Amino acid sequence: MFDPKTKVLVVDDMLTMRKIVTKILRELGFIDIAEAQDGNEAWAKAKSGHCGLIISDWNMPNCTGLELLKKIRADKDLSKTPFLLVTAEAEQQQVAEAIKSGVDQYVVKPFSKEGLKTKLESTFKKVSVRNSA
Amino acid sequence: MLAEEYFFRVEKHETYLIVKFSKNPESSDLRQFETQLELISGNHVILDCDSLIEADRDFIRILLKLHLATKKDNKFLKFINVSSSLLTFFKKESLDTTFKIAQDLKDALSEIGVVPKRSISTDFIDSFLQSTIKVLKIQADIDVSHGGFEVTKTQDNGICDISGVIGIICNNFNGSVIISFPEKTFLNVLSKMLGDEIVELSSENMDGAAELANMIFGQAKLTLNEKGFGLKMALPSVILGKPDSFLSLHSGTAILIPFYSNEGHFYMRIGLSA
Repeated sequence: MFDPKTKVLVVDDMLTMRKIVTKILRELGFIDIAEAQDGNEAWAKAKSGHCGLIISDWNMPNCTGLELLKKIRADKDLSKTPFLLVTAEAEQQQVAEAIKSGVDQYVVKPFSKEGLKTKLESTFKKVSVRNSA
Repeated sequence: MLAEEYFFRVEKHETYLIVKFSKNPESSDLRQFETQLELISGNHVILDCDSLIEADRDFIRILLKLHLATKKDNKFLKFINVSSSLLTFFKKESLDTTFKIAQDLKDALSEIGVVPKRSISTDFIDSFLQSTIKVLKIQADIDVSHGGFEVTKTQDNGICDISGVIGIICNNFNGSVIISFPEKTFLNVLSKMLGDEIVELSSENMDGAAELANMIFGQAKLTLNEKGFGLKMALPSVILGKPDSFLSLHSGTAILIPFYSNEGHFYMRIGLSA
């Protein structure tokens, strides 16, 4: 299970997709949700402290989800942040690149509420094991 | 204007040769042509028959010799600009299936593999059909059916108030996929996606059309790239209103697919770049 008090940062250049993810998160009990429209804005928000979990789109202008992931993993304060990538294009090569860069889970669009919930549970479980090691 | 003196001329390209015939051959022309066969046949060969009206049996014998020599070397031999009289002769001699006749130079080059094929296969269309049905079901819980597809040359896309557009860059061609909605259908779909009733189009919700195009493209890309299409990643965009700009997006023909659901109808249009 996951802690609903977790500060979640939803990153997507499409407002509609941010609304969809945010709505599902609220239905799952999360209350502290912030949004960013690209990796640069997300980076600023993460650095200012809103970063218990990042759910980021992959394919965005300016700073992609993968670039954001790499910055987060390279930052000493943020490197352990649970990171979930959302993508419409989950090809093997992409998935391998994301795993190599330290992603905790990825969600393929389209997805249902149940699909996202399963991925979140898996993410928190993985992070819990990683952080206790 | 002076008549061409030579019977044939060879244009050398990096990976193929074009042999241009400039008149009907005399017997001395054929003898000279036959002496050059060995040099010609080690390449992919395109025979430009634009100035040939007829061919006698001796010429056919030499062409068959060239056909066998290129085949032995695993090279292509293509005929272009074949006149109807020459084609009739090939048919009469039962050679119209032996000699591979291409529509034009571009067609010949694409068959040889020198330039990419510019075609949209049914495999390609089917992937987008299935992807659309899947995306609408999972993301909006809407059951969608399609009304088959038709090849259209017109820019008329039915009544469409908002469209999501995504570029296609792949091994075979460049083009785009456009998914177009009447306003009412779009608002119904969006309401189902967001779980809230959306009553009007606004700057806050119109990117939903691009997101749908993005998801449909992503699913189709996954299937198609497993089949070797080599689709590249692309960023989606939105067109508002009747998209006259389709004119600049699609050249000539496009594939138009109507979709139907309880939330209304919409269209998909797949076309090659202008």
